[in-house]
Amino acid sequence: MPDPINAWFASRGWKPFRFQREVWDAYGRGESGLIHASTGTGKTYAAWMGPLREKTEACPPLRVLWITPLRALVADTEQALRAPLRDLNIPWRMESRTGDTKASIRAKQEKRLPTALVTTPESLALLLARADARENFSHLHLIVVDEWHELMGSKRGVLTELELARLRRWNPGMRTWGLSATLGNLATAAATLLGPNAAPPRIVRGHVPKTVRIDSLVPEHMDRFPWAGHLGVKMLPQVIEAIEEGATTLVFTNTRSQCEIWYQAILEARPDWAGVLAIHHGSLERKQRDWVEDGLRAGSLRCVVCTSSLDLGVDFSPVDRVIQIGSPKGVARLLQRAGRSGHRPGVPSRITCAPTHAFELVEVAAARDAFQAGAIESRLPVERPLDLLAQHAVTVALGGGFRSEELLAEVRDTYAYRDLTDIEWQWVLDFITRGGGALRAYPEYQRVDVIDGVYQMSNKKLARRHLLSIGTIVADASMDVRYITGGRIGSVEENFISRLHPGDHFFFAGKSLEFVRVQNMVAQVRKGHGEPGAIPRWDGGRISLSSELAEAVRERLEQARRGVFQGKEMRSVRPVLETQAEISAIPRRDQFLIERVRTREGHHLFLYPFEGRLVHEGLAALFAWRISRLRPITFSIAMNDYGIELLAPDETPIQEALAAGLLSPANLVEDIPASLNAAEMARRQFREIARIAGLTFNGYPGQNKSVKQLQASAGLLFDVFMRYDSGNLLIEQAHREVLERQLERSRLGQTLERLSRSEIELKDIQRPSPLSFPILVDRTRHRVSSEKLADRIRRMTA
Amino acid sequence: MTIAVAGEELELLPERAVYWAKRGTLFLADTHWGKAATLRANAIPVPAGGTADDLARLTRAVETTNCRRIVLLGDALHARAGRVQRTFEALADWRARHPTLEFLLVRGNHDKRAGDPPRELRIRCTDAPVIEKPFVFQHQARETELGYALAGHLHPAVKIHGRGRQSATLLCFWFTNRVATLPAFSSFCGRFVISPEASDRVFAIAEDEVLPV
Repeated sequence: MPDPINAWFASRGWKPFRFQREVWDAYGRGESGLIHASTGTGKTYAAWMGPLREKTEACPPLRVLWITPLRALVADTEQALRAPLRDLNIPWRMESRTGDTKASIRAKQEKRLPTALVTTPESLALLLARADARENFSHLHLIVVDEWHELMGSKRGVLTELELARLRRWNPGMRTWGLSATLGNLATAAATLLGPNAAPPRIVRGHVPKTVRIDSLVPEHMDRFPWAGHLGVKMLPQVIEAIEEGATTLVFTNTRSQCEIWYQAILEARPDWAGVLAIHHGSLERKQRDWVEDGLRAGSLRCVVCTSSLDLGVDFSPVDRVIQIGSPKGVARLLQRAGRSGHRPGVPSRITCAPTHAFELVEVAAARDAFQAGAIESRLPVERPLDLLAQHAVTVALGGGFRSEELLAEVRDTYAYRDLTDIEWQWVLDFITRGGGALRAYPEYQRVDVIDGVYQMSNKKLARRHLLSIGTIVADASMDVRYITGGRIGSVEENFISRLHPGDHFFFAGKSLEFVRVQNMVAQVRKGHGEPGAIPRWDGGRISLSSELAEAVRERLEQARRGVFQGKEMRSVRPVLETQAEISAIPRRDQFLIERVRTREGHHLFLYPFEGRLVHEGLAALFAWRISRLRPITFSIAMNDYGIELLAPDETPIQEALAAGLLSPANLVEDIPASLNAAEMARRQFREIARIAGLTFNGYPGQNKSVKQLQASAGLLFDVFMRYDSGNLLIEQAHREVLERQLERSRLGQTLERLSRSEIELKDIQRPSPLSFPILVDRTRHRVSSEKLADRIRRMTA
Repeated sequence: MTIAVAGEELELLPERAVYWAKRGTLFLADTHWGKAATLRANAIPVPAGGTADDLARLTRAVETTNCRRIVLLGDALHARAGRVQRTFEALADWRARHPTLEFLLVRGNHDKRAGDPPRELRIRCTDAPVIEKPFVFQHQARETELGYALAGHLHPAVKIHGRGRQSATLLCFWFTNRVATLPAFSSFCGRFVISPEASDRVFAIAEDEVLPV
C-alpha cells in the first residue's frame, strides 16, 4: 500500500531519511525517545509524521502537544507542521498558544483546544492552572519537546518535566519525543525527558552528518592587537571583507553590548548597507526582531549582527556565512552557530571566528581540536529545586486541586524530584499553606487552603498574582525604552538608565537615542543626532569556558611551551606567548603558575588553573578564605577563564599558605560554604529562587506603584531568612545551587586534585604579563575579608 | 561619636539613633513596624523575629543614653495590612518596660496610609514640622526655612572606596548644611546609596562603631 507520508515526501522532491522512518515506526509501536542531530536535518518531520499516519475522526480533541522553548520558534514550527496537514487533507485544527496569542484565538481555545497545539513551557503551565485542565488534556497521543538540550539544563527544563509527569498520569498511552542537538550526555538527556520510571528510551541519531569548517580571521600585526577586552573592533576590516564574500551573513556576538558595538561599527564602515544590515538581540522589541527574522528568511538582508537570540531553531536557509566575534567558549555552541549556515541537509556548515583579543586565537585553535576529538559538552539537569516545586504545587492547586499523596507520586515520576524526601515534600506543602515550617503559625498568612484533604486556591487576588508569576525566567531589573511619541524600542537595565542625565545620548537597538526622562518606570527617549554615546551593559552572566575547551587550551599552551605553534591562529599569537614566556612563563600541563606583582594598587597575586571563569569563581573564594585564616587580610578578587587575581593592600603570605594546604582537595565541603564569598553568591542566587517560589513579585502590568509596600528585595529576604529561619529549605537550596551549579563542586574538587599534584611555578614579575593583564583591568570585583569591619573601614578611609 | 550640628551637640549611636543630650532626646527614623506581617498578609512568608531584634536595639540605645524622650521621625508602621496582634503585643510589651519615656511620632508618608500606632502605646502623633530650636523634626529629608531639619525617609547608606580596589556600603548618618538624614531604624528595609557633596559630613555605621568617612 503506498504510504501517503512517503508520497508527500516524494511530492516535495524528498526521500525520508532512515532515522525518520525509524522514529515513525517506533512511534507506531508506542515507544518514546530522543532524536539528536544538528539543526536543519529533518528532526521536525521525524517526530510529526507518526500521528499523521493514525486513523482519526475529523477533528479530534487535543492530541499532539508541541513544546518549544522560544516564542520566536512558534510561528515557524506552526508553519512547518501545517504543510503536510494541508497537502494530505487532514482537517485538524492546528494552533499555537503563547503570550502573543490573539484574544479571539484564546477565546476559541477556552471553549475547545485544537487537535495540535504548539506552545511554550510557561503557556502550558497557564493552561494546566485552569480548573478544566484534566478534561482538556486527557486525549494526548504525543508530546514533542523541541530543543530539549536548551531546556534540560535549566529550571525551565524542570518545569517541563513536571508538566510531562502530570500529562503522563492523565494519558498512560502517551508517547514523548525530544528533539535535541548532540550532547555529551544523551542518555541522561533522555532520562530527564521521560522520567525515572520509563522503559529504556530509544535514542535516535539523525544520520546526516554535516561537515563543519572552523576557520578564523587573524590580525595582520600582533604587536598592535590587544591582550584584553572583548569589546574592541580591531578586526573590523577583515570582518567586513568576510561579510562581502557571503550572500547573507550572521555575525554572532557573545553579549548584547558587543552586539550593539559591532552593529554600529559595521554600519559606520559601510553606510551603504543601511537597510540590509540589521541587529537582533533579546532586549529588543519583538516587532523589530520579527522584522529581522522575516528578512533573513526572505533573503532580503545582507547581514545580521546577533547574540544567542538567533542560536536556536528557526530555519534561515539563505544564510551562507557565519562569523563568530570572540571565542565561542564551548564546542557545542560553536557547532550550533556553525549550523546556522547551510541550514539544509547535505550542505556544509562553516564558521569563521574573529578574535577580539590575542588569547582568543588560542581558544579558536583549541575549539577546533576539541571538536575533532568529539569532545562535546554535557548539560547537567537541575536537581530538586523546591522553589519550582512550590510554584508547581500552587499551579496544580489552581488547576483542579490535588491530594498530597497523589501529587507526590506524580512529582517523583520526574527525574528532577525522583529522590524527593517526605520531609521536603511536607515542607513545600507547609510553605504554600502556612508560609513556612511546621512550628510557625501566622494567622495573617494565606495562599493555598486545604479543604477535606484537597489543596486548592480560592483567593482570587492571589490566584491572579500566581498566574502572572508562573515561569522561571527572572527578568533583570529592566526598564522599557520608548520614544516620547510612544513606540517601544526594547528594554535596558535600570541602573544604566539611572546614570543618564536628560540630554545624554546612548546607543541602543542600533540607534543613537537621546535620553529625555523617566516616567512611570519607562525611559523616554527621542532620536539622537548621531552623537557618540554610551552603550548599555546588560548584567547577564559572562559565558565561561567549558571544561572540554579549557582542557584543549591547556594542551595548546603545553605545545607552545615546547615551541610548537601549529596552525594559523597559534602562529599569529606566538609573539604574545613569547612575551609571556619572557616576562613570566608559560606553564606546562603539570605545573601551576603563580605570578606576583606590585603596583600602585597594592600586591597582586595571579594564579592560573585554566579551568574557566565558573570554576575560578569558586576557587578564588576558597583560596582567599584559606589565606585569610592565616592572618587578618582583605582581598579584592577578579577572575577570567584562565586565572584568578587576589589583590591585597599588603603582601600575601602565599608560600605559607601553600605549605598550609592552600590547594588541598580535603575539607572542601566545609571550606566553601565558610568562605564569605559563597554566602554572597547564595544571596545573589536567592533572587531567582525568591521569584520562582513567589516571595517576590514583579507587579501587575500597569500598576507599578501600588504594590510597592509589598516589596522586599530578595537580598533583604535572604538576610531575614538566614537570621530567623535558617532551616528554610529555600535558603538551603540557594546554597546548594551555588555549590553545585555555580561553583560546580565536583569540578572544583577535580581541579584541586590536579593542582595539588602540580609543580608550583612562582614568578615575581616586574610588570603585568600578557596572561595577567586581562584580569588586572577587569573592574568586576568580589571581596573576601577576615578583618573586623570597623578596622577595614578605618584603613580604607585613612 | 559626638559632633556639633547647628551649634548643638549630637551623639551618633551605632544603634541607628541620634542622642541630643541637652534635651534628653533620642531620635530615630523609619521603624516600619509590621512590615514582615504586611508581606505575610500578602502571601509572602517572611519569618517573624525582626521586630523583637529591632526593639532590643532600641532598648540598648535607651539604656546607654538614659534618654527621657524618643522622637520618631516618621514611618512608624509600614502598612495597614501589617497592623496585626503579634506586632502590637511586642510593641506594648516594650512600652510597658519603658513606661516613663515620652514618645513622639512626627508622621511620615507611610503613617498616612498605615494609621497611627494604637493608643495604648501612648505615642503622641503629630504632623510635621515640629520646631524645637535650632531643629525642625520632620520625615522628608528636605531643607526648610524653619531651621535645621532632622529627618529620615531616605534610608541612607554610603559607599566607601579604598586601596586595593576595595569598597563597602554601610548605613550612614548624613549631614548637609541644612538637613540631617538618619539611617532607617528598621533592619528589614532597603537602603539608598547617597552621593554627598564635598561640604557634607557623613558617618557610617560599621557594626558597633560609628566612623566618619
